[in-house]
Amino acid sequence: MNDQIGQNAAARPQQGVSFAQTRGAPQALAPGRAMLSLRGLDFYYGANHALKNISIDFPEQRVTGLIGPSGCGKSTLLRVMNRMYDLYPGQRATGEVLLDGQNIIAPGTDTNALRSRVGMVFQKPTPFPMSIFDNVAFGVRLHESLDRAAMEARIEDALRRVALWAEVKDRLRAPAAALSGGQQQRLCIARTIATRPEVILLDEPTSALDPISTARIEELLDELKVEFTIAIVTHNLQQAARCADQVAFFYMGELVEVAPADRLFTAPREKRTQDYITGRFG
Amino acid sequence: MSATTTRLGAASRHVAPEAGRARRRRFANLAATVLCAVATAILLAALVSILVTLVSRGLGGLHLSTFTRMTSPPGSGGGLLNPIVGSIIQTVLAVLVGAPVGLLAGVFLAEFGTGSWVADVVRFVSDMLLSAPSILVGLFVYLILVGPVGHFSGFAGAMSLAILVIPIVVRTTEDMLRLVPTSMREAAAALGAPRWKVVMLICVRAARKGIATGILLAVARVSGETAPLLFTSLGNLSWSVNLNAPMSSLPVTIYQYAGSAYDDWVQLAWTAALLITAGVLIINIIARLGLGGRDST
Ligand SMILES: Nc1ncnc2c1ncn2[C@@H]1O[C@H](COP(=O)(O)OP(=O)(O)O)[C@@H](O)[C@H]1O
Ligand SMILES: [Mg+2]
Repeated sequence: MNDQIGQNAAARPQQGVSFAQTRGAPQALAPGRAMLSLRGLDFYYGANHALKNISIDFPEQRVTGLIGPSGCGKSTLLRVMNRMYDLYPGQRATGEVLLDGQNIIAPGTDTNALRSRVGMVFQKPTPFPMSIFDNVAFGVRLHESLDRAAMEARIEDALRRVALWAEVKDRLRAPAAALSGGQQQRLCIARTIATRPEVILLDEPTSALDPISTARIEELLDELKVEFTIAIVTHNLQQAARCADQVAFFYMGELVEVAPADRLFTAPREKRTQDYITGRFG
Repeated sequence: MSATTTRLGAASRHVAPEAGRARRRRFANLAATVLCAVATAILLAALVSILVTLVSRGLGGLHLSTFTRMTSPPGSGGGLLNPIVGSIIQTVLAVLVGAPVGLLAGVFLAEFGTGSWVADVVRFVSDMLLSAPSILVGLFVYLILVGPVGHFSGFAGAMSLAILVIPIVVRTTEDMLRLVPTSMREAAAALGAPRWKVVMLICVRAARKGIATGILLAVARVSGETAPLLFTSLGNLSWSVNLNAPMSSLPVTIYQYAGSAYDDWVQLAWTAALLITAGVLIINIIARLGLGGRDST
C-alpha cells in the first residue's frame, strides 16, 4: 500500500523532494511561500466574537497543526478558510484571508469555485449515499467534465493516494457506507483530493478512528503535503508533533503562538502555550 | 425526562412510608399493564374480525372470471375487470401528478423555507389538507373539473386522488429530509456543490427510502377512497379507459353493489373489498420490509 503512494509521489519528482528530505528539522526549512495568509481576521457568530485579530501564514507544502482547548476557535478558523460559514446567516468574518494573494472573504468571491481550491475533511466520516466510485467522482463532476477514461483514472489516482485502492478496487460500485470508519475517512480524503485543491483543511480527522486507522491517516498527510498545503486541527498533541511542520496554539479565540513544531513543543515562548502543552489546563 | 422529573418531585413532596409507596407503585404498574393489554386485545379483535369477515365473504367470489369479465347486469356472471383497471389507472395517474408536486413542496419546506412565512403557510395548508374530509376534495374537484366540462371523468377522479396524495408526500418528504445530518450537507457544500445540488443529489438521495415509503403509503391511502370518486369519475358499468369519460373503480363499485338487492352483486362487492385490502396490505408490507428503516447506503 505504501508502495503505491511511494510510486505516486515518485511520479511527481518536480515537487517536494527537497522538503521530504529536510523533514524532521523544521526550523531548518527554507520558508515556503505562504499559500494562505490570514491578516487581522475577526469572526463573529452573531454577537459572539469567536476569533480575534488572527494573523497567520500557511506555507505551501507544509502541514500546519492547529491546537488549543476545545471551544478556542480551531474549527471556526478552518470554516472561514473555505467560507463554510456562508451557509449560515448571522455568521461573519472581517479582515483578510489571502489565497494566492486574493482576499477570499471579500464579497463577490465565487464560494463554490473557492471550495474546489480549498478542500475540507471533517471529524466524522461523511460518505454520501452512493457508490464508492460516485463518492469520489461527485466533487470532480461539479467542476470538470471528464470523459469516462479520464474520470476512472482520476478516481484510481485519488484512491491510490489515500492507500484505499487495493481495498476497494473490486467493489467500486458498492455503497460507500459499507466501508469501515477508517476506510470511510480515507474515502473522504480521496474525495477531497480528487478535485485537485491547493489547500486541504482537516478538522480532527482521526478523532473518531481507531489507532491503526489514525496511523494510516498520519502517514498519508506526509505523502500529501508534497502536493498540497495542509491545515489540520487536532486535540492530540502527539499527533501535532508527529505530523505538523508548524504548529499554532489558540486560546479563547486568540492566536497565542505559532512556531515550528519542534520549537513550540520544546521551547514555547508564551506562558499559556507552556501551560497547555504540559497539561496544566484545557 | 420531564415525566421522570415530575414523578421524582411528587415523590419527594409526599413523605409516604416506604412500603406504602412501593405497594401503590406496584398497583399502578399492574393497572397500566392490564389497561394496555385490554386496549390491544380490543384492537386486535376488531382487526381480526374485519379480516375474517372479509376473507370468508370475499374469497367465495374470487374466481378467474373476476379478473377477466366486466361488471354486468345482475345474474349474468360479471366480474370486476373494469373497476380493477379503472382503479389502477386513476391511482397511478394520481401518484404521477401528486408525488412530484408533494416531493418538491416537501423539499421546499425542509430545505429552502425555514423561517419564511411562505413555508409556514404552505405547511399549514398541507397539514389541513391531510386531515380534510375527502368528500370535500371530491366536491372541490367536481366544481372545477366536472361542472364546467359538463360530465364526469376518470381524469377528474385521478385529480381528486392526487390532491389527497400531495399532503402525505409533503409531510413524509419534509420529515425524512430533516433527518439528513447537517454534516452530510456540509460535506457536499465543502466540495463546491451549489445549494440545489446538495439538496437534490445528496439530501434527497439520502432520504430516498423514506420518501418512497411515503409515496407507497399515499398509494395505499387513496386506493380505498370512495367519496372523492363519487363526484368525479362516478363509476362506469362498461369497459372504458377513456380519461375523458366516467371511469369505474373498485371503491365506487363496492358502494353501488353492496347496497343492491342482488346476491351476486353483493358477493362481488365483498370480493372487491377483499382485493383492495389485499392490495393495501401488500403495499404496506413492501413499504415496511422493502424500504423500511433508515437509509445507510
Ligand atoms: N454555530 C455556532 N453558533 C454560535 N457559536 C458557536 C457556533 N459554533 C461554535 N461557536 C462558538 O465559537 C467558539 C469556537 O468554537 P469552535 O471553533 O467550534 O472551537 P474548537 O473547534 O476549537 O473546539 C466556541 O465558544 C463556540 O461555543
Ligand atoms: Mg472543533
